Amino acid sequence: MALKGFTRNFKPLEILTEEEVEAIHRGTLEVLWVTGVMVGHERALKLFEKNGCMVNYDEMRVRIPPALVEECIRKAPSSFHAKARDCKNSLMVGNNTLYFGVAPGTQTVDLDTWKPRVATRKENYDSITVLDALPTVHFFSPYTPYFGFEGVPPCMAMLESLASRIRNSTKFQCVGFSNDSEIFAIKMAQAVGIEILGTCAMAPPLTIYRDAVESTFRFVEAGLPIRIISGQAMGGTAPATIAGGIVINNAEVIAGLVLAQLIKPGTRVLVKDFSSPMNMSTGAPAFGSIEACLHNAASNQIFRKYGVPIDNATCYPNSKMPDYQCGYEKTSRVLIAGLSGANTLLLHGSVHGELTHHTIQAILDDDLAGMIGRFMEGIAVNDETLAIDLIEEVGPIPGHFLNKEHTRKWWRLEQFVPKAADRLTYPEWMDTGKKSCLDYAKERMEEILATHKPTPLTPSQEGDVERILEEARKYYEERGLMSEEEMATYRESMKSPNYPYE
Amino acid sequence: MSAEILENLKKTIIEYDSEGAASWARKAVQEKIDPVKALDTMTAAIKQVGDGFARGELWLPELVGAADAMTSATPIIEEEIKRRGTKRESLGTVVIGTVYGDIHSIGKTMVAVLLTADGFVVNDLGINVTAENFVEGVKRYSPDILAMSALMTMTAPEQKKVIATLKKEGLRDKVKIMVGGGAITQEFADSIGADGYDPTAPGAVKLARRLIGK
Repeated sequence: MALKGFTRNFKPLEILTEEEVEAIHRGTLEVLWVTGVMVGHERALKLFEKNGCMVNYDEMRVRIPPALVEECIRKAPSSFHAKARDCKNSLMVGNNTLYFGVAPGTQTVDLDTWKPRVATRKENYDSITVLDALPTVHFFSPYTPYFGFEGVPPCMAMLESLASRIRNSTKFQCVGFSNDSEIFAIKMAQAVGIEILGTCAMAPPLTIYRDAVESTFRFVEAGLPIRIISGQAMGGTAPATIAGGIVINNAEVIAGLVLAQLIKPGTRVLVKDFSSPMNMSTGAPAFGSIEACLHNAASNQIFRKYGVPIDNATCYPNSKMPDYQCGYEKTSRVLIAGLSGANTLLLHGSVHGELTHHTIQAILDDDLAGMIGRFMEGIAVNDETLAIDLIEEVGPIPGHFLNKEHTRKWWRLEQFVPKAADRLTYPEWMDTGKKSCLDYAKERMEEILATHKPTPLTPSQEGDVERILEEARKYYEERGLMSEEEMATYRESMKSPNYPYE
Repeated sequence: MSAEILENLKKTIIEYDSEGAASWARKAVQEKIDPVKALDTMTAAIKQVGDGFARGELWLPELVGAADAMTSATPIIEEEIKRRGTKRESLGTVVIGTVYGDIHSIGKTMVAVLLTADGFVVNDLGINVTAENFVEGVKRYSPDILAMSALMTMTAPEQKKVIATLKKEGLRDKVKIMVGGGAITQEFADSIGADGYDPTAPGAVKLARRLIGK
């Protein structure tokens, strides 16, 4: 049976009226038909045209009729199974299940100076070991934990990341695409006998570039599920209004959904709302903003009407360290996304946007996911939990509940106990060295690294992974994407006696 | 008449009116107003907006609006400067763009605006600029500085390629190179042989002055 994740046992949060949902849906249909999307890919243009779209080949513009949009939405499954290396870690995505995934960072960050730096190979592999052990990490998103690590040329970063995750974790894996990396990612997955979730990335506003279409064809034709993502910054690549932002984001991801369903009807898709307002002083996305939460909540209400599984991603803070700001940014993003029906969320480990990731942060996020997950499970109301007879038995003071069997049984089921939170009394806190959640997280990280041993690949699987990596290295070398100097550093880094782990 | 035209040229920029800016620029040319004076007026206007941005009173939508207005009027005035064969005093010339594969324009535009406001002549090549087009820009404008932006980790290596291409063409020593963007660090800038890096737009202006010794 697939991984349970968390179940939302109550009605989802709804912030739009039915009329407002309809207005946004109609707006989406109008944008897709009147304005259309730019699709930089000849084969895709022909496919759209063959299925009744109006295609202008000079402008590479596709206008999708409402009937086709609605037909394709119907063809996308409302829930789907996706196979992990250990079948107990496979996902059953959709409906009222919420899974948490690892969020990426370009670099790691020094815990004393908070200066970002490139992670070492060992830090990358160790981080995966810890993430493999954390119970609320249900899957790994693309290029997690790090975009790349020391010694690896940029063109090999995606594939080295996937290889490291397949080696050190039996959990479900997602991948992105860069310079044909998906060709080798798909081979790797097939060799190990797993499914991976691919990425179809739209470029806002209303554009999908050639590489993104090509990789979509490859993932879908390989029979793999795919996540459709756009990444608007409201006020920059989308209207500044949240309603306008939702319409255009909806049009973008639905265009990707239509493409996937035209390539192969019934393709498993996960639609993603990855929207933030633009920070109007720096131009960067305000990932941790409350407007992003409003965007998620409203988009999720619409996606639920469509009956397609929802990814909300981006529980990324704008803070640079695990501080108060980081805490409220992550909590509001996760809570509101979860309550409004997200099926997958990227959370664990992102310290600052997508720029830094740290294992300590992932351990703190394990507690956050546990708390929100606990909330989602809601309250069980039945004779036993109402405890009327027990209340009658205990009565007023000096009666109490601490010595009751009911308490011994139920408190563990009812209470989520965070592992890295400080919940001590003042005297205890003073006596134990005034430790903060960061100190506890460090202790937990060391404990996991000392005790958790990920299930290794079989020697034949390991041979396949390394062979496919080598094939990719040659491919990029031949295409001039790796300089001789980069290749020499890379080869040198592979001579470590503990390769590939350090 | 001349004062009124210049006043309106300035007004259209600080009011983010692209069409108005172009139309007053054409009027300035028709009325034979000194084009260098017109360009100075426009630079003063963009400086006013840049200062407002630095003080936190104006925000990106205003900065970009003023930049667009400036961009629509500049070619008209520059054409006239060229026709007259006059020369304009400036701090220096900059060629700027976002590298190939990267379509992020905001950081690059911020730097371009603030450099213009500071008195540089800025030639903005836009986004998704190939190494060949950067080299072309260097040949065409003979700038003191080449400024490149890359927001994504995947596109950062493109900056290295541009520098390599300049070397191949024997142009590397003719221009100072500054790099920036979300994906860039000082270490990266050093590793690719850039002359300077700064993480912020106002810092990039100071860097540009330092690079040309002003």
